[in-house]
Amino acid sequence: MFSNFKERFMTALAPDLPPLPSNDRSDHHHRRFGGQQMPDKFPYARPPFLQLLTADELRASADHNVRPIIVPRDINLLPWGTGYAECVNSGKSEWNEDQSAFCRQVLSDPEHKHPDLPYTYFGIFDGHAGYGAALAASHQFHHILHETLVDCIELLLPRDTDTGENGRLNPTFPHPIYFQRRVSKDELIIGALESAFFSMDSLIAQDSNRYRDAGGCTACVSLFIDGKMYVANAGDSRAVLCQRRANQPTEPKDSSVIEPDPLEASCYPVPFSADHTPETERERLLNVARLKPHLMANHYVAMEYAKRPHIKDMGQRILCRQGTMKGWTYKTLTRDDLRMPVVNGEGKRSRLLGTLGVSRGFGDHELLAINTGIQIKPFLTPHPDVRQRDLTQVVSIPDEHNQDGDYGVLVMATDGLWDVSENEAVSRTVFQTLSKYPTEKHRYTMVAQELVARARGKINDSGHWRLADSKAAATVDDISVIVIPVYQYYKEHIEWTQNYTRDLEKRRRRAQANMAQEAQEGNLLNGVIAEEAHVEEEEEDGEVVVLEAKAQIQSEPLQLPHAEAEEVLVVEITTSPEQSESRESAASTGTATATADEEASVTAPASQRDSATVAQQQQQRSRKGNKGKH
Amino acid sequence: MSYAYLFKYIIIGDTGVGKSCLLLQFTDKRFQPVHDLTIGVEFGARMITIDGKQIKLQIWDTAGQEAFRSITRSYYRGAAGALLVYDITRRETFNHLTTWLEDARQHSNSNMVIMLIGNKSDLDSRREVKKEEGEAFAREHGLVFMETSARTAANVEEAFINTAKEIYEKIQEGVFDINNEANGIKIGQQHSPTNPSLPGSGGAAGAANSGCC
Repeated sequence: MFSNFKERFMTALAPDLPPLPSNDRSDHHHRRFGGQQMPDKFPYARPPFLQLLTADELRASADHNVRPIIVPRDINLLPWGTGYAECVNSGKSEWNEDQSAFCRQVLSDPEHKHPDLPYTYFGIFDGHAGYGAALAASHQFHHILHETLVDCIELLLPRDTDTGENGRLNPTFPHPIYFQRRVSKDELIIGALESAFFSMDSLIAQDSNRYRDAGGCTACVSLFIDGKMYVANAGDSRAVLCQRRANQPTEPKDSSVIEPDPLEASCYPVPFSADHTPETERERLLNVARLKPHLMANHYVAMEYAKRPHIKDMGQRILCRQGTMKGWTYKTLTRDDLRMPVVNGEGKRSRLLGTLGVSRGFGDHELLAINTGIQIKPFLTPHPDVRQRDLTQVVSIPDEHNQDGDYGVLVMATDGLWDVSENEAVSRTVFQTLSKYPTEKHRYTMVAQELVARARGKINDSGHWRLADSKAAATVDDISVIVIPVYQYYKEHIEWTQNYTRDLEKRRRRAQANMAQEAQEGNLLNGVIAEEAHVEEEEEDGEVVVLEAKAQIQSEPLQLPHAEAEEVLVVEITTSPEQSESRESAASTGTATATADEEASVTAPASQRDSATVAQQQQQRSRKGNKGKH
Repeated sequence: MSYAYLFKYIIIGDTGVGKSCLLLQFTDKRFQPVHDLTIGVEFGARMITIDGKQIKLQIWDTAGQEAFRSITRSYYRGAAGALLVYDITRRETFNHLTTWLEDARQHSNSNMVIMLIGNKSDLDSRREVKKEEGEAFAREHGLVFMETSARTAANVEEAFINTAKEIYEKIQEGVFDINNEANGIKIGQQHSPTNPSLPGSGGAAGAANSGCC
């Protein structure tokens, strides 16, 4: 039944989908040059919210000599005052190969049985070996994510029971017969993110024979939904939640002791992603090599050596470790050991097959190892690590005015920032800059700009980029930084929750009024019969599990006038394979979990379908609007 | 469209003197009375003709606020011309010229042509800085001077074009090393009919220049 539901929903959205691979897309806009070169799938551009619209602006923004720091022209385009800044590399590639994206969307029930669930997504993609993959991800990832979220929409949308008297905000979904596992909303959203990462990667793979080699990219994505923050990451971009403890009441100071700067001492970073480099993923990569030795084609060896083996060392003992070993052991050096290790180098210079510096992400389907021409993709995976933070659990005392510190400021950035800035330094810069601009609307933009400026540094007379506060080398890479004020999202979420509770209350009252009217008209008996008939009809469609019949008291503070509780049947419907084929059953999904108001006004199936169509059209329209904006 | 030269300009001066409005008037021929604070850097471009040669001006409009100064400084590099702007109705913006000039001289190449601009000449009734004072400052520091109005467009064209003329003369005299892009001058690719520099056969550039579909 659910897949049917999804199918209908998807069909409704299809006209607005991004240019997904289909046979009729490759004709216009781009020609093949002499039959050699394939066209770009997307023309090169910077993120749309920067409004670098003309070729001249694009050109100027990529000035490798100056490396201008670009911030959004209109800072209101990003939600919650979110800051963004970027800067091009110092000449290692012609264009800035980083890309960023955001999207505001609403998950809405086509039948309006449940309140809508809004969400916001941010993504940052660091391209390599071309700009195509990062560009594709910034254009398409949010559409894919939306589809995967829509796939489980009926489990994600808030229900009346969510705010019931027991206040279960994070319910699990019991499927007593067909599923052995209880699945939480958290797991559904994490799963949606994970599967969206895989879909994005396959999409780039499908495009690879029709468009120019897209290269590859890392992906760091944050999703704000239902009062929670999720961060999914594949690759060496990073998300760090910068937090700060509230100021302690100042004690009388001993003037002889130099106190540490209270601001510096109170900031602390909380990593929300783990970097995936050949070094950090050595274990997984060596496992792949060990299990599928043909991938190395006798050119590489799945070993690590304490020192690089030379031909003169043959027959001698050398310290090494094999596969996933943690410790070291001796072995006698043979000719096989002279091959290049699958993972070599350390830290930022670690390389997979001597070629690639990241081990997860999208694309790279055509990437071959330097010198040997071995396929690298089998070693890579788009699988993200996903971390979550429940913002409803954050404790923040209003009087302390430390919301940014308590909820944190999420800094998502490509390795251009992290290569030269420690997490601690970044969190200090965040709060130092925020304290400099206490009320300005563009304060988070200033944070982003400051972070980029520090990582980019200054160019010296001999043309080298140096950090301002030391003589150390600044990054020569592209830098992109998103600075998200998490508390601003949470405020929005609270507002939404209140509106939704109010909306719920309104509906309940309307239903009660209807009931009362019907009772006055002496139709009460008919009403009850209709209700029973309704339930029976569902029983034919799917298996009805009567969970509880109870007196339902909803959200106490708002409920003043009507003290009389009503008898409500809460019904849960479960899928069975044969029913999922039935198109008809999709229409009754909503009614299965019907509450007082819906049960009171029994709708004919035909009109239900109509309202579903209307809802789908609305959804379509809202998607169009969103597309234009983004 | 092909050009013989590309000159890079930077516009500097205190916040609120009308830098962004000057740029908008020059590139778009329009005036926007309410303009948001420039936070980063804005880019503009326009083609002009000097001595029968097509010259493209690439203009970087910077943030004027003191807080942005350290970032703005990095943009002097690689500029062939600078418009140093003050507001004739606000004396303090004139007083700050020395600081701006020091900054510019320190961070730019020594041949950069600097044009001093007293903006908002349409607000003569509220004038706080006499034209003669501007002229004297320019003479003293070896700058070209002009009063402009971004609102009425008075002298805006002239300010940008005269600066370009000066740069062009310096090129003719051999003062500028035009082969070093760090000087803010680029020789155009004369042989290519369309802008070849954008990847993917550049949608925007191609469309704008062909004139029709």
